[in-house]
Amino acid sequence: MQLKKPIGVSLAVATAGLLGSLPTAPAAAEEAKDWEMDSTLLFYGEDGDRVKDASLMTSIRRALDEDRSFSLSLTVDALTGATPSGAVPANGVQTFTSPSGRASYDIAAGETPLDDNFLDTRVALAGNWQQSLGEAMRLNAGLSASHEYDYLHLGANVRLERDFNQRNTTLFAGAALAQDTMDPVGGVPLPLSPMQAAIPGNGGGGGYLKAGGSSESKDVYDLLIGVTQVLSRRSLLEVAYSYSQVDGYQNDPYKILSVVDPATGAPVAGPPGSGLNLYLYESRPDSRTKQSVFAEWRYAFDRDSFALSARYMTDDWGIDSQTVDARYRWNISESSYLEPHLRWYTQGAADFYRTVLFNGDPLPQHASADYRLADSDAYTVGFKYGHRTARGEFSVRLEYYHQQGDPSPGAAVGDLAGFELVPPLDAVIAQFGYKFRF
Amino acid sequence: MNPRSAATLAAMLLAAAAATACTSVEPWQRDLHAREDMRPNERDAAVDDHIYFSKEASSGGRGFAGGGCGCN
Repeated sequence: MQLKKPIGVSLAVATAGLLGSLPTAPAAAEEAKDWEMDSTLLFYGEDGDRVKDASLMTSIRRALDEDRSFSLSLTVDALTGATPSGAVPANGVQTFTSPSGRASYDIAAGETPLDDNFLDTRVALAGNWQQSLGEAMRLNAGLSASHEYDYLHLGANVRLERDFNQRNTTLFAGAALAQDTMDPVGGVPLPLSPMQAAIPGNGGGGGYLKAGGSSESKDVYDLLIGVTQVLSRRSLLEVAYSYSQVDGYQNDPYKILSVVDPATGAPVAGPPGSGLNLYLYESRPDSRTKQSVFAEWRYAFDRDSFALSARYMTDDWGIDSQTVDARYRWNISESSYLEPHLRWYTQGAADFYRTVLFNGDPLPQHASADYRLADSDAYTVGFKYGHRTARGEFSVRLEYYHQQGDPSPGAAVGDLAGFELVPPLDAVIAQFGYKFRF
Repeated sequence: MNPRSAATLAAMLLAAAAATACTSVEPWQRDLHAREDMRPNERDAAVDDHIYFSKEASSGGRGFAGGGCGCN
């Protein structure tokens, strides 16, 4: 019998719950603490010499009254480590020119070529305003900016929600715009041009044949519509469709492809006098349209809860992907919980993904050996533990991520059959959180 | 699946969700929905998006596809 509970309290908490993913103004049950601070320290570490990221995310939210609040967030990332350049292993030592064009580095026989000139600090800021528009509608509008050594992002987004059917149904729609500008170290390489020998010194800048300007940009347009539906006293379903259009420069200016002999798989000679093998800078289309369908089902047990989500994504680069994510929230006590998490992901390769290019073949219009565009599968397994005290909520999350990609069909010719052409990725994710109100 | 069939799938799912709109759980029956663990954790979702955006070819779904980094 529900009426055993005081109706006023139930209504207050129910109203808070109904606002769904939008942050709520403090409910009546929460005495007036207008500020909330949420900080997260994240360590992401790939195996061996590969990428490490230490990231601090902190946000502060202020409820102005029951209908309006704003939040500001700051993220600082410190990235180090090496990332696959796209070139494949060979039976001999391979020499590459670093992105600056002023130095070179060697990769031992049989080793996956990693570019270890990867060191960056990223600072991101975001501000959001949330406001009720009458009884059943809410608006959320935000601005974002982030900066890296060679990258600048500016964005704006807006999202509207409206409740129907005694708040059993919430429709939402949103739009986002962003402009990203890249200033690659040493300039923008001409797509599919060969890597050139390094020219040392400050006046240097070999490495590649340059495209027109020193910077490139892309525009990103996102649209999102969806519905959250209460299915029963215990469950709800959220379904969203999103459409994303990206126009402009989408190459990774540091990624290359090996050109190999079609019979032996051995590297072929690069530009005369360079001492390099033949490596071409990648080329991607300058337009990409992505669509995705996302659905999440949440179920509340008396004590615990369960969330299961699935996403299907398709784009006009030929990539299809599926993601399934499951979390079980075990509320051990009033003040602590344990949340096991499983995630599975699979994607097909982009139409222009090539693990290698073969010498003598006509050059394709677009080609990339970036492992992120390969046919691949990944899983994440982990858990989160949280504990609430009078001073706030502490949490720790530990996860393991494994990704394995496949080379493009027919790539493993000759010597290449003996090498790992798409290096697997293993990473550990450790996240520490502290959230409090004041 | 081509983009047109993705849009069709989306429309079907939205219609299915809307068709359940006749469900009416009264406000005083929503104590379980009001629990904090029945809402998505935005911070964890942001962390996941940040990681997977830079390691996989897909992003977004729950929210905007986003981006805003030259992540390697």
